[in-house]
Amino acid sequence: MSDRILGGVCVVLAAGMAWAAHDYAAPISYEPVGPRAFPLLLAGLLALSGAWLVVRPSAHANGLGLAQLKTLGLAAIAVFAYALLFETLGFTLATALMAVPVGMAFGGSLKHSLAAGAGLGLVLFLMFDKLLDVVLPTGLLAFVLGGR
Amino acid sequence: MDTLQYLATGFGVALTPTNLAMAALGGLIGTIVGMLPGLGPINGVAILMPLAFALKLPPETALILLAAVYMGCEFGGRISSILLNVPGDAGAIMTAMDGYPMARKGLAGVALSISAWSSFVGSLVATIGIVLFAPLLAKWALAFGPAEYFALMCFAFACITGLMGDAPMKAVLAAVLGLSLSTVGLDSNSGVYRFTGGDVHLSDGIQFIVVVIGVFSVSEILLMLEQHHHSSAGLIRVTGRSMFTLREVAHTWWSTLRSSVVGFVVGVLPGAGATIASAMTYSMEKRIAGPGGTFGEGDIRGVAAPEAANNASAAGSFVPMLTLGVPGSGTTAVMVGALALYNITPGPALFTQNPTLVWGLIASLFVANAILLVINIPMVGVFTRMLALPNWILVPGILAISAVGVYSVHATTFDLLLMAGFGVVAFLLRKQGVPMAPLILGFVLGDMMEQNLRRALSITNGELGILFESPISVGLWVGAAAMVVVPQLLRLRRRRAQQPALA
Repeated sequence: MSDRILGGVCVVLAAGMAWAAHDYAAPISYEPVGPRAFPLLLAGLLALSGAWLVVRPSAHANGLGLAQLKTLGLAAIAVFAYALLFETLGFTLATALMAVPVGMAFGGSLKHSLAAGAGLGLVLFLMFDKLLDVVLPTGLLAFVLGGR
Repeated sequence: MDTLQYLATGFGVALTPTNLAMAALGGLIGTIVGMLPGLGPINGVAILMPLAFALKLPPETALILLAAVYMGCEFGGRISSILLNVPGDAGAIMTAMDGYPMARKGLAGVALSISAWSSFVGSLVATIGIVLFAPLLAKWALAFGPAEYFALMCFAFACITGLMGDAPMKAVLAAVLGLSLSTVGLDSNSGVYRFTGGDVHLSDGIQFIVVVIGVFSVSEILLMLEQHHHSSAGLIRVTGRSMFTLREVAHTWWSTLRSSVVGFVVGVLPGAGATIASAMTYSMEKRIAGPGGTFGEGDIRGVAAPEAANNASAAGSFVPMLTLGVPGSGTTAVMVGALALYNITPGPALFTQNPTLVWGLIASLFVANAILLVINIPMVGVFTRMLALPNWILVPGILAISAVGVYSVHATTFDLLLMAGFGVVAFLLRKQGVPMAPLILGFVLGDMMEQNLRRALSITNGELGILFESPISVGLWVGAAAMVVVPQLLRLRRRRAQQPALA
């Protein structure tokens, strides 16, 4: 069943690619193959392999339990939130915050995860920003950690 | 003769204090990453690659670090196989078959040390193989024109999809998705922006690091969440003798050597890798040993053979990457991407244009291998203690380091969000059985493939015949077709053979 969905999504994606690529043309062309051919070729291949999956899906099922879906969704949201807040809150705070849901999803208690996050945020910041010269955002803690 | 001279230059590069330190650090990190279940060489190399770049390491040093991580992973995978019965990485699956029974008999120390020894021999044999064959292959490949390169890349894709388990169509799908991702951004030949949606962040293409981290770090974490609720409950404590005896070395010697050679050959082939090599040699040794062997119940050769093979194949996979510029495995594809960050395109010309890089890397494989042997025998106790590191510290740590790597390239929130997006999409694809190695190979090769196709067709003004003109390209096309067809036929035949047994 879900092989069919995957195949269908790929066919739609291929159609979108072909539609976007069909009017790519070089203003001044000095070679026989322009910027359009390769994407169109790929769109064709993608549509074919997608269609194959729709017609001949494999039998193996891999259902996710509802509880699993909940933890997975939570972890995915945590990753997105981490990405969004990375600059605004700064590395240290964002990492400490991210570690709470992620750590708890991996079996840590609230207290443990919070401690791990705070430790990781601080230690990794000092290691990368101060020691190894990889500049990281300081965000809200700029007044303590210096920098931007 | 030339080769020896170049090798000497290479050792000059590999033995500088910085590069020596990086080889040791890489080996250490690699052993830990390889040992942790769920994380393999591709994850380790993917996570460290952006950091090497952010730390402004020179290209040869960065490559030495990544190569040491790769080799270290192949060493480290055996530790959890033997002590936990959970392979640390895919190449170490076979090691658990006899390693864990040995550990349960109280021979954990012996299993660990003999497997470190055979890992060392495997890497050594394969590195000598690189020294002997890589320059020859590179010289031959200098004659390749754009048409031959296009055919070669199609061959690489055929190998990786033909050998990819039971769903070749999903591997094709992954490769096409990777190739498509590589077309995003400015087309340098014509000045046309493709698939950017007018977004400035995408105008110079999708950053390789963002894709790799998303696909191999973020999605791996989500997969770990679902699969590994691994605990150190089954962990066997190392007691008793920790060193192998000379008799044990003599007993395993031929198994180790045979497996090393087979592993090297399998590693050179694009698409086949450590997993296939170790499975092949395990069953080969089992057959050779005959009824005299106790394979599956703790035969020491069953530990030595797959470990020699998986290390040899890891080293062997450097051959196509260095000589042809076409990586044969996901991990070496990531390394090609790392070199691209330094504006270096690997290929046959590299051997003459940048010998310090190529030979420095080859020499450092010898150095890293020796270092790994040293840290893996006496220090194995330190690593086993790290197996007890809880996931609630480890996983947020991996995620934070991954984000640092992505952020260090362009310092934009956009890239971080893209990383998260790729992670979730890759997770869904992997759940559906779509392999990720072809995707990364497609992403790395995409630009090169398109450029070579366009260049080849420019020569004949659009005539497709040139792609099938030279004997080399014809040979490669035939090889590619065979790689796709033969595994299918074999599978069909096996199914036929099984059916009467069922009926």
